[in-house]
Amino acid sequence: MGLISELESLAGELESALGQAVSLPEVEELRIAFMGRKGRLAELMASLREAPAEDRPAIGQKANAVKLAISGMLEDRIAVLRAQSAGREDFFDPSLPGRRPPAGSLHPITLVLNEICSIFEGLGYEVVSGPEAETDFHNFAALNFPANHPARDMQDTLYIADEVLLRTHTSPMQVRSMLERKKPPLAVIAPGKVYRRDSDITHSPMFHQVEGLLVGKDVSLADLRGTLAYLVRKLFGAEARVRFRPSFFPFTEPSAEVDVTCIICRGAGETAGEPCRVCKGSGWLEILGSGMVDPNVFKAVGFDEDCAGFAFGMGVERIAMLKYGIGDLRLFFENDMRLLAQF
Amino acid sequence: MLLSLQWLREFTPYEGTAKDLGERLTMLGLEVEALNRPCLDMEETLVGLVRECVRHPDSDHLSVCKVDAGGPEALQIVCGAPNVAVGQYVAVAPEGSSLPGGLKIKKAKLRGVLSQGMICSERELGLSEDHSGILVLQEAMPGRAFTPGRKAAEALGLDLEVLDIGVTPNRPDCLSVLGLARETALAFDLPLKVPSLERDGLEGGEGFGDFALEVENGEISPLYQLRLIRHLTAGPSPAWMRWRLRAVGQRPISNLVDVTNYVMLELGQPLHSFDFDRLRGRLVRVARAAPGERLVTLDGQERKLSPTDITIRDAEGPIALGGVMGGASTAIDGDSRTVLLEGAIFNPAIVRRTSRRLNIFSDAAYRFERGVDQRMTAFALERAALLLAGLGGGKAASVPLSLELKPLAIPRLPLRRARAAALIGIPLEAEFCVSTLRRLGCAVEEEKRKEADWVVTPPSWRPDLEREADLIEELARVYGVDRVPESIPAVPHTLDQAGQPESRHKFLARVKAWAAGAGLNEAVTFSFVGHRELDFLALPRQGRVGIKNPLNADLDVLRPVLAPGLLNALRHNLAQRAAGLRFFEVAAAFSEDPQSPYGTGVREEARLGFLLYGDRYAASWPRSSEDADYLDLKGLVEQFFTCLGLPAPEFVREATGEGAAYLDPAVSLRLNREELGSLGRLRPDLAGSFYAKKEVWLAELLLDKIFALSSKVKASFVPWPVYPPVRRDLTVIAPADLEAGAILAAIHAVRPEYLEEARLWDLYQPEGNTREKHLTWRLTFRHPARTLLDAEVDGIRDKVAKTLVEKLAVRL
Repeated sequence: MGLISELESLAGELESALGQAVSLPEVEELRIAFMGRKGRLAELMASLREAPAEDRPAIGQKANAVKLAISGMLEDRIAVLRAQSAGREDFFDPSLPGRRPPAGSLHPITLVLNEICSIFEGLGYEVVSGPEAETDFHNFAALNFPANHPARDMQDTLYIADEVLLRTHTSPMQVRSMLERKKPPLAVIAPGKVYRRDSDITHSPMFHQVEGLLVGKDVSLADLRGTLAYLVRKLFGAEARVRFRPSFFPFTEPSAEVDVTCIICRGAGETAGEPCRVCKGSGWLEILGSGMVDPNVFKAVGFDEDCAGFAFGMGVERIAMLKYGIGDLRLFFENDMRLLAQF
Repeated sequence: MLLSLQWLREFTPYEGTAKDLGERLTMLGLEVEALNRPCLDMEETLVGLVRECVRHPDSDHLSVCKVDAGGPEALQIVCGAPNVAVGQYVAVAPEGSSLPGGLKIKKAKLRGVLSQGMICSERELGLSEDHSGILVLQEAMPGRAFTPGRKAAEALGLDLEVLDIGVTPNRPDCLSVLGLARETALAFDLPLKVPSLERDGLEGGEGFGDFALEVENGEISPLYQLRLIRHLTAGPSPAWMRWRLRAVGQRPISNLVDVTNYVMLELGQPLHSFDFDRLRGRLVRVARAAPGERLVTLDGQERKLSPTDITIRDAEGPIALGGVMGGASTAIDGDSRTVLLEGAIFNPAIVRRTSRRLNIFSDAAYRFERGVDQRMTAFALERAALLLAGLGGGKAASVPLSLELKPLAIPRLPLRRARAAALIGIPLEAEFCVSTLRRLGCAVEEEKRKEADWVVTPPSWRPDLEREADLIEELARVYGVDRVPESIPAVPHTLDQAGQPESRHKFLARVKAWAAGAGLNEAVTFSFVGHRELDFLALPRQGRVGIKNPLNADLDVLRPVLAPGLLNALRHNLAQRAAGLRFFEVAAAFSEDPQSPYGTGVREEARLGFLLYGDRYAASWPRSSEDADYLDLKGLVEQFFTCLGLPAPEFVREATGEGAAYLDPAVSLRLNREELGSLGRLRPDLAGSFYAKKEVWLAELLLDKIFALSSKVKASFVPWPVYPPVRRDLTVIAPADLEAGAILAAIHAVRPEYLEEARLWDLYQPEGNTREKHLTWRLTFRHPARTLLDAEVDGIRDKVAKTLVEKLAVRL
């Protein structure tokens, strides 16, 4: 039998064999048997050398045609089998639970601190940090709290030694920043832990504050208002407004408490006809203390008393409670996973 | 400060509502914290006129009354009071009304007779403890007209609305009705009326005779005045005064005492009454206490005095603590006939020290330490003397005994309009400034020399106005800080602040972000813990930073390590049946350090703490339940170092040191011999206290040191090698107690040529053999400039293998 007819019968043989093949591995076996490196086609091609030279071109042509044909037949069969087996192979279930890495989280206080810091960094303030155990000088004296003055009653203090205490506010960072910078201008924001000798349902002996200080030329109360208006809109949304009420802090003058429109009733003072429980019907929530830096503070740090600046401080827990609807201050320090996992 | 609206109206004709007043005062810096309605409970009680009153047919102590309470028909009321009589105006709680304490009045039959209400005693109305008989309105408030059917509280002129005002420490002038009336008059542009002194209670002459007053110096008491009131009869104060004092939170005591409280609340000047007849000798002396002196104060407590305390003394010794509390020996009682009334000013700082040291927080001390108007003292003293004379039926000496060793010095303050306008950020009209300051009681003069626009003299009651800034604050306050426009300032920058390295804050924020990304949950725990907890963890006593005045014994020391806080978080969550916990915390640890850069004697180290417990993953399909172990913890630490671009640290088992106190095994973390933290398993004997039934894994990293190392790391690209690696595996059979690290170190000690990396590829414990373990090391060799030949690599590997067997107790 000539090579040509052997080549021709090859196609036929494959066709009938493929008819029997009902799975992809069987087809793969046939592909190897017919078209593999040591397969039937290769075998026949190896004997081409023995064929007479004048027959070789014809045989070559035939071989190419057969090769094309059989690879077509294999592909067709694969396509048919694939089509048949679609939906029948290993069942793929996209609804099974994924193999998740453990989910980490940042504490809600960190989230709010980060947010406040980045708002002020966006305005060009520098974030500074300092010690939590402070000297009386930085925490009180330089901030115009004279010794034996009733203003000190405003903050119940935890003492470590006679002149060393746990800072009762982040305001000592005003003093440290100005002493370090030596002269204006400066714009700093100081987040951190603060401590008071006070513990009940609305007071925690440790809590967090963010302090802000801007000292420059011609800084005004209007600038303070604008800056804090910017902050509350960023924090609570474009509708949030500030209200300033005169108040007293030894280290600022004038001083103002700052209220923000109640985020629950949106300033209406009531929800569904009932007085709003969060703002107690006033429509306002107190979130900040602020004011123009008192000249005595400038004097204490060696700044010219006629320079101007403003300072403000806010309680982070309070803001986190409002932002996330956390009703109980104590939850922040229990570290209950049922709370932490929500952030 | 509790302010009765009715009382306020005696000083200024404010006709608006309490709510409006509260809002205006709040916007003037006097925050109204609550609006109390002390008589709310007797809202439904009416004025009744007793028309008939007959004996109850079946009782010898009950009366049957017909009371006109304004309704179409008189009410029949059975009354048990002995003093009920026809013609009396009484307070009637009609059927269906309720009384203080929630008592609901119902129609009832008393021994067979219908009663349609109740005629009330003062106690039943919540006005006093008096239950001896019914309240007879015209006796309580003589001269007042009553109409049956009106609300009794209104008819009696009771203080119906009381504002609770938070007065900031800079405004002692607002600790009185007068002071708040000044602010109300300012807010609503109303006139101010000061009570007039009706001088009929005065008797002529000197009164004091040879009685002497001495004051040690003007520093302790700039002004000291006494008045003498004789022929008094002690008894209860009249109803109006008792009720008013109750409405503003004071307990009425007797006419001779209540007057001093009344005038203090009204005018802000604390006063004190001595029983003149109980003074020893004819002398009052104001002086510092002598060393070792004691005084029994009004509250019956014996106080040890300090030589800094101001005492009021008679000829023999102390009789009062000046400005703080009177003494028991000269206290007014029911037998007192002659009152020596004191009106004085005491040094605020000294009063404050004494009051704090002795824990006496009296109304007087509260006011003195904030500042009392020295120019009001004489008036208040005279007002009280006359009231006392009137209420106690006595006569006051017309002339006080007075020593003013240090007259009030009021500063004259220059004020620049431009400075005020710039600081507030609004244009300020000259006229506004001048009229505002004058309405506040300041004298304002034009400044001729033009360094300022005006020279301002504040009123005597505003000790807080000491500087220009204080005046500017007043202008802003009255203008309305809420009316100031909003502008965003340009934030100044300086070039020398540019290009600074990453701040500590940024680094710590980055650490937290990494930890959350690594699947850890951030905990925030208290910086203070209890010495007991630290003792429990066997941490050394030395170097701890204690709190001198802790809230309680669980919070009396600053934590030297983060572990206690994390363990508390563990305990809390295990009590909630948590199965797996992965906490981190970034916070300061505190220790004593005389060299502290902050000048506090306290070292504060930022630390990163980890706690792993229980399930490594949520133990449901497709994960199986596996507990976190040392390798999880160590892996976190290693990954942290990798993320910071730092080389892999060493982990060395430690027997001593901070971690070893409470960890077992304890491992210390080092890089280039520098100690960077510790990690390990909580000692099993301690774990139960935290409800832990599984292993608790803790790590604590010294972030300040790591920050310093990480800030030196510079990211740079290293091109990868061109020539291929050749790998050889080497399996070592080692005793179970030989550290893998020792084998690795031994491999490196051979300094094998071209060795790029040696890595533990497999660790296997043969079954049934706990004495040995199989460690397969994969050695990767590479030549920088050519392809290595199999034969040369085999040679190196064999050398390594041979050396290992020689140096260590291992076989191959």
